[in-house]
Order: sequence, then C-alpha cells, then structure tokens
Amino acid sequence: MNWFVGVDVGGTFTDFFAASVADGTLRYFKHPSTPHNPGEAIVSGLTEMCAALGIDPAEILRVCHGTTVATNALIQRRGGSVAMITTAGFRDLLEIGRQTRPHMFSLQADQPAPLVPRERRFEVIERIDAQGEAVVALDEEHAAGVIEAVEESGAGACAVCGLFAFVNDAHERRIGEMLRDRLPGLHVSLSSEVRREFREFERFSTTVLNAYLQPVMCDYLDFLQSRIAELAPRAPVRIYQSSGGLMSVDTAKAFPIRTALSGPAAGAVGAVHTARQVGRPKVVTLDMGGTSADVALIRDYDAGISTDRDVAGFPVRLPMVDINTVGAGGGSIAWFDKDGLLKVGPASAGADPGPACYGKGGSDAAVTDANLALGRLSPGGLIGGRMELDTVAARTAIAPIADALGFSLEKAAQGILGIVVANMVRAIRAISVERGLDPRDYALMAFGGAGPLHAAEVARVLGMNEIIIPVAPGILCAQGLIVSDLREEFVRSGRFPATSEHYAEIERLLEELVAAAQSWFDNEDVAEPDRRLSIAFDARYVGQNFELPIIFTDGERGKVPAPDGAGAVTAAFHDVHERFYGFHSVQEPVEIVNIRVIASGRLARLADCVEGKASDGEATATGSRAVWFDGDHPVDTPIYDRDTLVAGMTLTGPAIVEQLDTTTVVFPGDRLTVDPSMNLVIAVASKEGQVQ
Amino acid sequence: MSFPERANAGTLDPVRLEIMFNALRSAADESFIALMKSAYSTNIKERRDHSTAVMDPSGRLIVQADASLPIHLASMGGLMEALLGKFGGDIHEGDMFIANDPHVAGGTHLPDINMAMPVFHDGELVAFICNIAHHADIGGSVPGSMAGGMTEIYQEGLRVPVVRLFRQGELQQDLLDIVLLNVRVPVERRGDYYAQIAACRLGATRLSEIFSHYGVAAVREGFEQVIERTSKRMRAAIADLPDGIYRFEDVMDDDGVETSDIAIKLEITISGDDIHFDFRGTAPQVAGNINVTLNATQAAVCYTLIALLDPDAPNNQGVLDLPRITVEKGTLLDAVFPAPVAARANTCQRIIDVILGALADARPEAAVAAANGANTTAVFSGVDPRTGDSYVYLETIGGGFGGRSAKDGKDGVQVHITNTSNLPVESIEQEYPLMVRSYGFIEDSGGAGRFRGGLGLERIVEPVGHTCTFNGAGERFTHGPWGLFGGCSGKPGEFRHIDGGGTQSRLPNKPNGVKLRPSEAIMIRSPGAGGYGDPGEREAADLEGDAVSGKFSDEFLAGHYPHHGRDEK
Repeated sequence: MNWFVGVDVGGTFTDFFAASVADGTLRYFKHPSTPHNPGEAIVSGLTEMCAALGIDPAEILRVCHGTTVATNALIQRRGGSVAMITTAGFRDLLEIGRQTRPHMFSLQADQPAPLVPRERRFEVIERIDAQGEAVVALDEEHAAGVIEAVEESGAGACAVCGLFAFVNDAHERRIGEMLRDRLPGLHVSLSSEVRREFREFERFSTTVLNAYLQPVMCDYLDFLQSRIAELAPRAPVRIYQSSGGLMSVDTAKAFPIRTALSGPAAGAVGAVHTARQVGRPKVVTLDMGGTSADVALIRDYDAGISTDRDVAGFPVRLPMVDINTVGAGGGSIAWFDKDGLLKVGPASAGADPGPACYGKGGSDAAVTDANLALGRLSPGGLIGGRMELDTVAARTAIAPIADALGFSLEKAAQGILGIVVANMVRAIRAISVERGLDPRDYALMAFGGAGPLHAAEVARVLGMNEIIIPVAPGILCAQGLIVSDLREEFVRSGRFPATSEHYAEIERLLEELVAAAQSWFDNEDVAEPDRRLSIAFDARYVGQNFELPIIFTDGERGKVPAPDGAGAVTAAFHDVHERFYGFHSVQEPVEIVNIRVIASGRLARLADCVEGKASDGEATATGSRAVWFDGDHPVDTPIYDRDTLVAGMTLTGPAIVEQLDTTTVVFPGDRLTVDPSMNLVIAVASKEGQVQ
Repeated sequence: MSFPERANAGTLDPVRLEIMFNALRSAADESFIALMKSAYSTNIKERRDHSTAVMDPSGRLIVQADASLPIHLASMGGLMEALLGKFGGDIHEGDMFIANDPHVAGGTHLPDINMAMPVFHDGELVAFICNIAHHADIGGSVPGSMAGGMTEIYQEGLRVPVVRLFRQGELQQDLLDIVLLNVRVPVERRGDYYAQIAACRLGATRLSEIFSHYGVAAVREGFEQVIERTSKRMRAAIADLPDGIYRFEDVMDDDGVETSDIAIKLEITISGDDIHFDFRGTAPQVAGNINVTLNATQAAVCYTLIALLDPDAPNNQGVLDLPRITVEKGTLLDAVFPAPVAARANTCQRIIDVILGALADARPEAAVAAANGANTTAVFSGVDPRTGDSYVYLETIGGGFGGRSAKDGKDGVQVHITNTSNLPVESIEQEYPLMVRSYGFIEDSGGAGRFRGGLGLERIVEPVGHTCTFNGAGERFTHGPWGLFGGCSGKPGEFRHIDGGGTQSRLPNKPNGVKLRPSEAIMIRSPGAGGYGDPGEREAADLEGDAVSGKFSDEFLAGHYPHHGRDEK
C-alpha cells in the first residue's frame, strides 16, 4: 500500500499524518519534538511511525513538511550574518523603514534593529529610474571593491537590493553574478527574485530576511533531505510555503522566507479540506494552541491570501494565507491590571513550565487550569493519559484570583474562560469587518489542542449556529500538508494603465510570466492535465495608494484564464472595489501595479475517506463527571470517547467528547452529529447572547 | 502578580466589566476599521490619520479605538461640548452631526472632520459614537489645506460649526453640497464623508446590541466604573511622583510670518495625586499657523502623562479630567479666532518636550531628552510635464528621538504626537515628476550623552523635466533639541537649496514658493535629538558602535567624549 505523509513540527509535538493513496485510510502519530534540530524528531518519528503502524518506508511516495525552523530562527535571531548591497545614497533605508514607532504611547518601545548593521550595508554606484532606465550605469569597478568589502565583513549571506529593480533587474543580476563568481560559498538573495514588487522598504526587508535564513535553512533542509532519502527512497520531500502550497527543497533553499508562516497556513488548508467534506463553503476557523489562536475566514472554500504581514517585527511582502493571530491559548495567564480588571494573556506559560496543572513548576493560573477546574478537561490527563494533569495545582493557582474577586473558585474559572473567549471574539469581529462579512452567516471550525474546548462559547457570543470539529483537530496542519498542491507565483510590478491602448503591453508581460510558469511546470515534472494557472492583477484607481486584487482563476490543463481586454479588467475591478469598500467610480481610470501569474500543480489526490462503519443511533457514553458550563452548579455530564463514535451517530449536550489530541465541550441543548467523514457537526441550541 | 482590593462594586464585577468593555472596545475598533477600509484619502487609508470613540450622553469619553491618535484625544470632547451646548435637548434618533472648526466646534485644525451620532435605546439617548478623520483637502487657498504663510483661519479652508448632516435619518443634501463645492476633488472627498457615515452607523449598531444585551443600567454603571478605575489608576501614578513645583520653558523657532523665539512656559505643581499645569507666561498667539486651541493643548498634556506614567492605560475621561490646566486666552496655547492653526502639531510637539523637561527630575527613569520636536514638512507642487496635470506631494519627515535613561534615542523616526509613515521612494518617483537623490541619516546629528540622541534624516529631492515649487515648514531649525542630565543638544534641522552647480544655500525655516528648476534640488535635513546623561559615562562598546557604524565622525567622538579611544592609546 502506498502512502503520503504529512509532518508538522510544533513546539511540544511533531505530528505525523499518513494517508493511503488507494483508499484514503488515515493514520496519525505523535512524537516529542526536538527543538535543537527539528529534523531529528522527523527522522526518528518517521521510523517509529512506520514500525508502529506497519507502514513500509519504501511505500511512502511523498513527505510533505510544514516547518517552523525559519519562524523560530527569526524570533530567536539565530539566522546568518548578512551583508547588503544597495543603491548609492540609500544604505540607511533598511533602518529607517517607514519611520514609525511600534507603540503610540510608549517612550521606550522601538522597531527592531535591522538584521544587517550599518557597517555591513554597502552602496554601489548605480541608479534605475521609475521607467526602468539606468540613469546611472552600474560602476563595475566600484562594485568589485564593494564585493571585497563584503568578503572582509565575514558575512555568510548577501542581500542585493536596488531601487526600481522590480522594473529592471539588470544591475541586481550583474551584482549577483559578480558575487557568485568571486565568493562561491556565499548565499545570495536578489530583491528582484525574492519579490519583484514595488515599495522598496518592504521588498528590501523581505530580501534581507531571506538572506538571513538561507544559511540556517540550507543546513536544515540538506540534513532532512539526505536522511529521508536513506529512509524512504521513493519519497520526494516537499516543503510547505506560507501561501498555501508546496515547493521543492531547492526552491525552499533559495527562498526560505516563504516558509515563515508555513505551519498556520497548513492548518487553514486542512480546514478548507474539511469544509469541503462537510459541504460548508463559509467557515471561520479557530486554531487555538498553547500560546495563541489563529483565526481565518474561508469563503467559497478559499482561505484568501494576504501580502501584508509582519514576521518577528519585520514586514514580509509575500503571499501568505490570510491568518490573524491573537494571544489567546491554553497557556494564557490570568492577571489583574492596574485598574483592577481581570485580563487573560497575551503572556503565556507556554509548554514549559506550562499551566500550573502540568506540574512543571508553573504557578500562575492559565486557561488550561480553568478548564481542568471546571471539569471540562479530564482529571485523567491529556493524550489519553500520557500527560498527567494536576487538578489540585490548578485549583491552588486559581484560588487567589477567586479570593480577590470574592468569587467561588468555579466562578473565577468561568470568568477566566469568558475573558479568553471575549479576546478571540474581538479578533474574529475585527477580521469580519475588515472583509465586510457577518460571522453569523458562517460556521465555526475549531481545531488545535484547545479550539474545541472553547468553540461553543465563541459561537454563542458571535451568534453563529454551527460548529465543526474536524476528525483530527490536533493535527489538522499535518493533514493540510498532504492535500496541498505545488504552487509558485510569478510577478511583474510597475504602473500599467488598464486601457485598451496599453493592454498590449499587459498581454506581453502576461505571456512572459506564463512562459516562466510553463517552464516551472516542466522543471517540477507536473503533467499536462495537472497544470492550473490563475491570473491576478493588483489594481487601483489612479491616485489611490493601495491595491485590490482581481483574480481570474482556474485555467485548466495549463490554459491561460486571461481576461478579455482592458474592459473586462476594469469591470472586474469596479466589482471588487464595490465589494470591499461599498462604492466604485466608473469614470475614474484604473491602473494595474502588479501582474501575477499563479501556477499550481495538482499532486496525486487521495481517495475520499469514508469510514466503513455507520450508524444512525445515539452514541454511548463511556462515563460521566461533574462539569461546570455557564451556570452556578455543575452538571453531571456524560463523557464520550471519540474513537467509539461512528458516522451517523448523534448526541445531545451536555457532553464532553475526548480524543487523543483534543477535548470537545458540547453545551447543554447543543446537538452533535458525526458526519460521513467522521467530522463532528454541532448545531448550537441557543440564539441568545449575540453580544458578550 | 498583584491583586486588587476586594471588589465591592454593585452588579458589575471585574470579570463582567472586562467582558463588557471588550465588547465596547470592539465596537470602537470595528468602527475604526470600517472607516479605514472605505475612506478615499491616503491620509486615512495608509497613514491611519483617524480615530473613533464612544462617548456617554454627557459627552464624556468612554472608550477609544486602540489605534486612535493622541492628537484626537481631546478633540472629540470639544466637539461634544459644542454639540451639547447647541443641541442639548434637541437630539433625535437618526441625527448625525458634523463639525471641524477649532474656534467654535472643538476641532484642532480644519482638515480633521468630526462626526457624532447619538445612540438611542427604548427612546432614550444612551451614548454617542464619534469619529475624526483627516481629509486630504478642506478647501482654502492651497491644495491640502495645510500650507503656511496665512494669517487667518478663513484662508485655511472651509469652517464647519456643529450642524446636522442627518436629521432623523435624512441626509441634509444641501449641506453636503455646500461642503463638497468648497473642497478639491469632491468625488474623492464624498467617499471620505460616506466612510465616516458608514463608520458611525456600524458603531451605533454594535452599541445598540451591547445595550440590549446588558441593559442600560448595567452599561451606565460600566461607564462610571471605567472612568473611575482609570482615574484612580492614573492618580496613583501621580501620587508616586514627588510633590513639588517643576518648571521648564522652551521656544518655538518662528511662526513663518513675523515672530521668532515664541516662548512656551510651564510650571507644574504636584501635590499628592493632584497635578496642575500652569502655562501662564507663554507668548501671545501669533500671525502664523502654529497656534494651538485649548483642546489640542489638553491632548498634548494627556498624551505626555500617559506616555510618561502608564503607556497601557486606557484612554477615557478618567485621563482627560486628571490634569488641571491653566492657560491664558489669546496665547499660543489657547488661541482665539481668527488664529490660523493648520500646523498646530509642531507646537504640540514642543508642549510635550516642555512637560518632559519639567518632569524629568520627578521621573528620571521614564524621562526622555528633547526629540526632533517637529513635523518637518516638505511640499512639492507643479504641473507634471508627462500628463499636464497638476500635482501636490506632501510629506512629513521624522527625525531623532531623545536619549532615554537606559538606551539611545532611535534614529530617524516620527515622535510623540505623530506616527505617520513615509512614502516609498518608488512611489514618489512613479507618481510625481520628482527624483530622490538620497535618503539617509545625518552624521553627528544626535546629541552626545551617556545615551545619545537619535539622528536626523536627510533627503534630497529634484524635479524631473519641469520647474516646480517648494514649500516647507521646519521647527527646531534654529534651536536644537536639548539634552537631559548633562546630555548634549542634538543638531537643528535646515532646508537647503542646491543649484545646478552643486552650490548649497540655506533657506528660511518656513520657506514659501521656492522655484526649483531641473538640475536644482532641495535638501531637507530634519533635527536630531538630545542626549541623556553625562557623555563621559558613555560605555566604550557604545562608542565603538557609534564609530563602526559611521553614524558619528571621529572628530565628533573625540570632541564630545574625552574618554573615547583612550584604551587604544
């Protein structure tokens, strides 16, 4: 039997998700993470998984990997030593940034120091203007001297960042050649290759981050690729990128910054997969882990792409699945602010020491402690009892808060959960307004270890009436990896009037980009029927300073879904502007600033997994315990083991559903059904409480 | 963790109150986002020069959106005072009010359009949802409505007193027609007004839901409690300051018209948890546009208190009511009709410096040396030779941030009351017939100190293929930003004209109508900032960094730090 394997590395566990190619049978495996070299846990976990689940490593046809190595290297500032070569007169641009402060009222907070210190930022004599003309030719003799200085600086990587290189990359390419000739061991990142888009600070920042990550990621990926080749010789390694598709190891080594949000993006893609199974095109996802919760909106089975993100305090202008993060997780700590109000998070006990109930020395009351004190989490512990929880320690941590409030211990715990729910609700409301949507029209899909614990309350406050808990909520990210396509994007940036006189130029550039996409398909061995092309124009009314994407999707079998002339482009833009901002203006001229071609190669698909067993009966509880919901008294609540639930079964809350990777709280009156793909679909009983 | 005293409030415990306020903050935030998303002005969309707030029926500030601006802190209160004074008792469901005038309607300058919408519950007025947005134009003699050289507010743009834009749900089209006729690019501006209207409506809907859920009595009690709790929190921070009288004074360079060295004097008296700001002795208002109305003075005072004492404190009436402020009418800081006020932010920056200077001895660990203290403004305008269309390119340029008790001042950044981003060089050159020759830090511009001041910024801009006009507004171009506790002053800023042969000549601090031919250029140099503490105590590693980075010359380091390089010799 042949298998696809997804591997997602988390802070505590490395999750494995194996799917049989033929019949879609799914297998999960968890292995403790090895943060010093995450690759070790992957290699040993793969070996153990194969032994435990009876999988022959030679039958693994693909290993898809979502990695946090880049993210962690950025957060912990463990990247390489980077030099930068830039246009004469502009070496400080990287440090000036947008000249803003991160916190309006703080006299102490600064933007992070640039990853390339000033003495390693070198200027070369060259200048390209807005039309792409070299108004100052590249002075190669001077550049040769600069390259010597780069060598003397001892840098392991060099970012090449020229003004207007997005229009004309000749100077950057020449400098790149000279660097590679002279310093063959040096990693080189060109801004016109990393992201060919205008706005120099964001492009330079993205390029410098890429260079910073190259040494670390190349070492890591070389290790991983060679070890997996020994273990599973038929399995190419594919790396997950933040935009929601897979790429080859070679691409990942050239552009490691593309993995900066690899993990959460995989979760969103797994959520889309589940949404399709359940047949719900509109979903709000809530991926709640130990330190934070990721929220995304799925519309028409599409999580959407954003190019406007910061990672570790630096702007990154690359397509990434559109996810918002809020500091609300199982480890979020409850504390009193100076004005006496109770707050929860964003500070987190993390995994170590973790919440008080982990018994590893944490003494602050965390969200997990509150869940345990209320009976929502099993006193028998997590991961089927492999991780013990200390109820006494949880209550001891909450007691001083209850005392300060004059509350019973349970009421204080309910308060902690109410506040963490309010924090997540606020984040969901913010992204809904940003996209002009009403969450009441959406289903809530909760995953991550802590999502299903809080979904019922989040849905109630937002007035949502349906909750979906995927089949493996704790490892949805690993699942998302194996249902993803190969993906690559090709961009040209400039100012292109969307008028019929100028449309020929746009078509010419489109042809170039499509040709690049086709040769990428060839290089990646994507067969003709599996080639998909989309075109996106980032457009705006002339004089506006922001763009909206207009997208023409799904050219099948490599067909180009090009719009039919400038009229079609402007009409589509008016529509999009109307949808985003509630107005449009037909008399205003439209211009395109980025022309993007998105190529995706469909990888071999899994058969849809439908478990053989089915039942239309009521589920049977395995036990019961006292659980506090929103009232003053506990309710004797049946406990279900998710492994015993089969498709078609139903149950009515109050109930707790326990499984290896999460716990689902079903509020009194809510009606749970197990769908044919083994997802839990919960109809929320009450329409009350549309406001907190 | 510190615990509060046992709560003894009525029905609202600290948990329920936190959750209710989370919903109220969310209402203000959502209103803020709705405004940003649908506005047309770059100022609003990209620079986020707007704010939203919830006020109670008596006009007290209850909650502001997180991203709201300090300068708008007090302005909404001013609007409410004018609104209630004029319409109290005659406010109806579906009304929406609009105003901008600093002299009669609580505004701080004309491009900031204020809107307020009453929220009713069961026929009773329970709250207002308000917003302020900086429009790209409000008429007047120069595009952008921000130019200097004028001496009466009439020249700065259209003045709008508090009037109804909607009367019981019905748009007063006649009024909107008058407004739009008086502003440039009315199609775009209409988009901005609609964005503000949409933001009010969304906020009002969310507030209604909150009142329905909690009941009017509980929300009212919540309003009282939050103001009281914030007031108590801030008072505790003031009580921690040593009692005493703290004095400081500084001067504005000039008003760009006729007056130089315009004094701002301050005496702060702290007694227990009471703090009194006495600005008597400050210079009379001036002919140029750097005058400040009392609301903006109050905003600057409150910003500084929060920044100095408790940066995470919520913004509500509990903060606004805290400082007692005495200012003489008709002076720079309480200017009266017909004073022009467009550039009031420059003066607000100086008020903040003066307060920081006065309180440095009271809170040395939180104090900051004078920052670049300006909104260095550069405006290039002309006719684009490629299209024949006229253009105006306006930018405010950051400078040094002051040295601090434990770290250097940041180089090249917007400070205090402003935090707007720059326009990318690649945007400037695509959109305007201009070329940026260079953009970087100014060597040696940060004042020496144990912790040095930040560097100013230099940018050189030339017109391409045409002759353009340059206007500028600089402050701290004559008097450099001072240092604290022995730290040295930062370097003042300046504008220079560069002719075709490369010869530079200094321009006035607030130049008007400078013609620039192709091959000529303007050099903008923003001020650095003052240092903190005795330069003799600067650590060798930090000096090494100053030298290696090239931010300071050997001559500067040798001249200001006698111990520099001593170990090497």
